[in-house]
Amino acid sequence: MQNGKIKPENLLRRSPTNRKLTTGCEILDGCLRGGISCDSLTEIVAESGCGKTQLCLQLSLCTQLPISHGGLNGSSLYLHSEFPFPFRRLHQLSHTFHQSNPSIYANYNDNPCDHVFVQNVHSVDHLFDIMPRIDGFVGNSKTRFPLKLIVLDSVAALFRSEFDNTPSDLKKRSSLFFKISGKLKQLASKFDLAIVITNQVTDLVETSDGLSGLRIGNLRYLYSSGRRVVPSLGLAWANCVNSRFFISRSDGSIVKDRSEKDENCSSSVSRSAKRRLDIVFSPYLPGSSCEFMITREGICAVQA
Amino acid sequence: MISFGRRKSPAIEETSLATSVMEAWRLPLSPSIRGKLISAGYTCLSSIASVSSSDLARDANITEEEAFEILKLANQSCCNGSRSLINGAKNAWDMLHEEESLPRITTSCSDLDNILGGGISCRDVTEIGGVPGIGKTQIGIQLSVNVQIPRECGGLGGKAIYIDTEGSFMVERALQIAEACVEDMEEYTGYMHKHFQANQVQMKPEDILENIFYFRVCSYTEQIALVNHLEKFISENKDVKVVIVDSITFHFRQDYDDLAQRTRVLSEMALKFMKLAKKFSLAVVLLNQVTTKFSEGSFQLALALGDSWSHSCTNRVILYWNGDERYAYIDKSPSLPSASASYTVTSRGLRNSSSSSKRVKMM
Repeated sequence: MQNGKIKPENLLRRSPTNRKLTTGCEILDGCLRGGISCDSLTEIVAESGCGKTQLCLQLSLCTQLPISHGGLNGSSLYLHSEFPFPFRRLHQLSHTFHQSNPSIYANYNDNPCDHVFVQNVHSVDHLFDIMPRIDGFVGNSKTRFPLKLIVLDSVAALFRSEFDNTPSDLKKRSSLFFKISGKLKQLASKFDLAIVITNQVTDLVETSDGLSGLRIGNLRYLYSSGRRVVPSLGLAWANCVNSRFFISRSDGSIVKDRSEKDENCSSSVSRSAKRRLDIVFSPYLPGSSCEFMITREGICAVQA
Repeated sequence: MISFGRRKSPAIEETSLATSVMEAWRLPLSPSIRGKLISAGYTCLSSIASVSSSDLARDANITEEEAFEILKLANQSCCNGSRSLINGAKNAWDMLHEEESLPRITTSCSDLDNILGGGISCRDVTEIGGVPGIGKTQIGIQLSVNVQIPRECGGLGGKAIYIDTEGSFMVERALQIAEACVEDMEEYTGYMHKHFQANQVQMKPEDILENIFYFRVCSYTEQIALVNHLEKFISENKDVKVVIVDSITFHFRQDYDDLAQRTRVLSEMALKFMKLAKKFSLAVVLLNQVTTKFSEGSFQLALALGDSWSHSCTNRVILYWNGDERYAYIDKSPSLPSASASYTVTSRGLRNSSSSSKRVKMM
């Protein structure tokens, strides 16, 4: 609804598919039917060390790709609530990205890190302070790379310590979930942004009413590192995202055949744990999964 | 009609005033009295005609004599338009015939249609609630496609209004479901080949998308404004046979300080939906979220928005998981028995579950 007029959108004028942001890995993109959807809130849930931040950094760089290459021809804003921000890893990925896509930067003498904006967020109130500035920032942008991706890593950290376990605080916390989601979705709709939010998991503690293990989405149970887990922030937050992807970790290793080409990094490759991404729910994706590993160059899927 | 209390947020008050000018306001009243009536929430002739003069006087802050005169004028207008409340009475036999002839919107899942008495009922407000990922949006999209099935194929040949508060409606998914629906109709037409004329116009998936009026709503203020506008919009688009709100809940779970006001706003919204359903013989489908409710010493699952909202819908369907199967349960209905049915979400849309037919790809 623009300019105060109440008129329906013409669905034919819309693109038949939402724009997608490539993950930088063709197999993963196939599983996600092109990548992360614009004008939508996508949540990535995983335990610590599973690669969700790796994936977000990779998305931040891929945003700069031209649309013909699955990018959004834009810049990204990385809101991080956990310290420290992995600048070293960003530079490492950026170096590889620059080498793989020299034509994007040749005429401008810049580098991929110039188009990743980093902002720390230390509380919910701080996040609400930042939101109007994001709106102004996107609306007034005159750079060659307008803002196209917002990452919030992670949302659970914002709620870790501020709220007690009293009914009134739980209620307030829940309404803040919806307020955050509402504002982010408004930004996504207004500027056709892709928004990615990471969330953590907690171990499942069985309760007598059976609600703690309530099934949400395509997977009856979520396991990671051999333990049953549930996404943080509970059922209320699950109502706030459009899609939920779950990354899990198994204890197995991927052993590559040693060859001359792989000689230099075979030791690091062979020590990589196998990760798996599952689509828990989404309004446009079937339940499916994809295995991947994390290498020096970034996230790389494993052909099954 | 429930009138607003004196405490109103400026946004809602502005919304009410802005949209009320769209009403067909025909009474010859002085501007000051008209303004008082509008401020008190009396924006329709029928709402005035159904109250007592003392109630009207108190709500609108006018004298008893003024209220009496207004009621007389309102009742005369109703009579002149053959819309007198007394004259509108029908006998139960006529109502039975009328109800039996009402078409229903198929869900594309015959098991689900069976427990719904043939599909989603027009003239009713139906609430469908469930946990995230259970398929609420899929049902909403499926209904907005199926309402367009031509009458000769057993459908309504109507159009759909889709009010999206969560941003979950995906054009690519709607197109996918529309394409499957067109293929099914072609198959159906093939069976009934003898009965069709040669010049039968074939539906295309693009036509189906064009007949969905899509509104993206980003705040509760916009939601209230849009609901207030719907009567005018549907008057101008008379083919609309379904209104889907996905979800009714989202914006009202945000930081809403005045819970009593929230209840009043939601109640008025629900009443408007009921009026739309009756007046235009269309189906209203409200999708709702699930929350946990603490009662009798333990947590239980419940539909969001609380007990006062429970009275706002004619029919209530709850979606839930049973093992690896999706199920729908008739929780409340004046005309349907309690029953449950399984369903599945496939790439082609809602279908019977694999346990009752050949295995299909699970969404």
